[in-house]
Amino acid sequence: MIAGAAYGVALNDRNLLSSHQQAFAEAPYKAPPKAPVLYIKTRNCLTTGGAPVLTDLKAVQAAATIGVLFARDLTRASPGEVRAAIGAVCLALDVSEPSDSYYRPAIRQQCRDGFLPLGALTALPSTFEDIVTQIDGKEVHRWSLDRLVRPLETAASEISAFMTLQAGDLLLLGLAADAPTAQPGQTVTVSSRGLPVLTTAIVPEAGR
Amino acid sequence: MRRARIAHEGRAQWAEVVEDGLVLALPGGVRIAAKDAKWLAPVTPGASVFALGLNYADHSAELGFKTIETPLVFLKGPNAFTGHDSVSPRPADANQMHPECELVAVIGRPARRVSRADALGYVAGYTIANDYAIREYLENYYRPNLRVKNRDATTPLGPWIVDAADVGDPQALALSTKVNGVEVQHGSTKDMVFDVAGLVEYLSDFMTLMPGDMILTGTPHGVHFVSHGDEVVCEIEKVGRLVNHIQAEP
Repeated sequence: MIAGAAYGVALNDRNLLSSHQQAFAEAPYKAPPKAPVLYIKTRNCLTTGGAPVLTDLKAVQAAATIGVLFARDLTRASPGEVRAAIGAVCLALDVSEPSDSYYRPAIRQQCRDGFLPLGALTALPSTFEDIVTQIDGKEVHRWSLDRLVRPLETAASEISAFMTLQAGDLLLLGLAADAPTAQPGQTVTVSSRGLPVLTTAIVPEAGR
Repeated sequence: MRRARIAHEGRAQWAEVVEDGLVLALPGGVRIAAKDAKWLAPVTPGASVFALGLNYADHSAELGFKTIETPLVFLKGPNAFTGHDSVSPRPADANQMHPECELVAVIGRPARRVSRADALGYVAGYTIANDYAIREYLENYYRPNLRVKNRDATTPLGPWIVDAADVGDPQALALSTKVNGVEVQHGSTKDMVFDVAGLVEYLSDFMTLMPGDMILTGTPHGVHFVSHGDEVVCEIEKVGRLVNHIQAEP
């Protein structure tokens, strides 16, 4: 089970790094990222079983990805040792307030209640298929984890060089630069062949 | 009341600190000497743990930053914590590893859209963190990045949680860090840019804070690099004294 932290690998889509090549050379970044960049989704974000996403925002970024659940601690591991430490995987919809700034941690944008709906956990497949996002039944986005700068094995290995990925932690593998936005009133469905489907409704939150 | 989390008889247990801190009283009547305790970080598993960067103007100036206008919040994972009187590893290339003494506010009940005036009513207690940073690993992406601030066992926390009522005003506490007995940090929580009430108001504006969640409120000036074998003591008035030892990573 997910007893630990939910980490995500940021800036892991090649398309994002190439479209931001110039920006990342300039202030405040000054140089492209070297080590893996991580973010954390706090416990209040996590939901399962199709709970709706309540929000008072006009639109949210709805970034479909895959989360891997660690069954064993991973510390200073080689890429070849990563898969044996993983107990399960699930689809995840990483919801956030749209932002194109990566300088400071984006807690306000990323860590709102219910902003990480998760699909059911299942065994780690041998390969990941395309991740497809539908809004109100219509396909709006499709991407392949072939776009990742660091695929699962490389990312987890390089992260484990500076911190332990603990049994019970979830690692979200990356977000697509062109992830769609969804608005309150819409329903988002995430699917990927071989993994349990994830469906969630974006619902307007009652005013203050 | 002061509550400590210790490893005793093969499991994590909460104990009440009694007799001037000399004795830990466990539920069921067992008492052990504090000097024999195996201290754990008093963190509720699954808690969200927030930390503040640049939350003392003098520390910002020392690092070359202007005073922040919105709280600079980052998050910590459970791997980072270790208890009182423990060891923090120092990588071989970490010549710029420095301690940061911080007051920690512990949330006591669900907090959502809490006003500043009511905010302290949601704080159950306080503890101390020493939130080490290793400046060599800073990069300008989600800075301070996890490679700097979320390394295994580099956030000693404890020794215990003191009830908020026993602390009183959280903005009137002296705090200090000593390395091998020499003071390297000294300040007062009155100099926070965003105070405890302001931080609870800010965070609860966009998310629900839950019991056990913690806010590490930042550190005053005094950047001192530590070495293998150093004893580092962070002390906060009315809260306690947190001891940690630096050990070279194998």
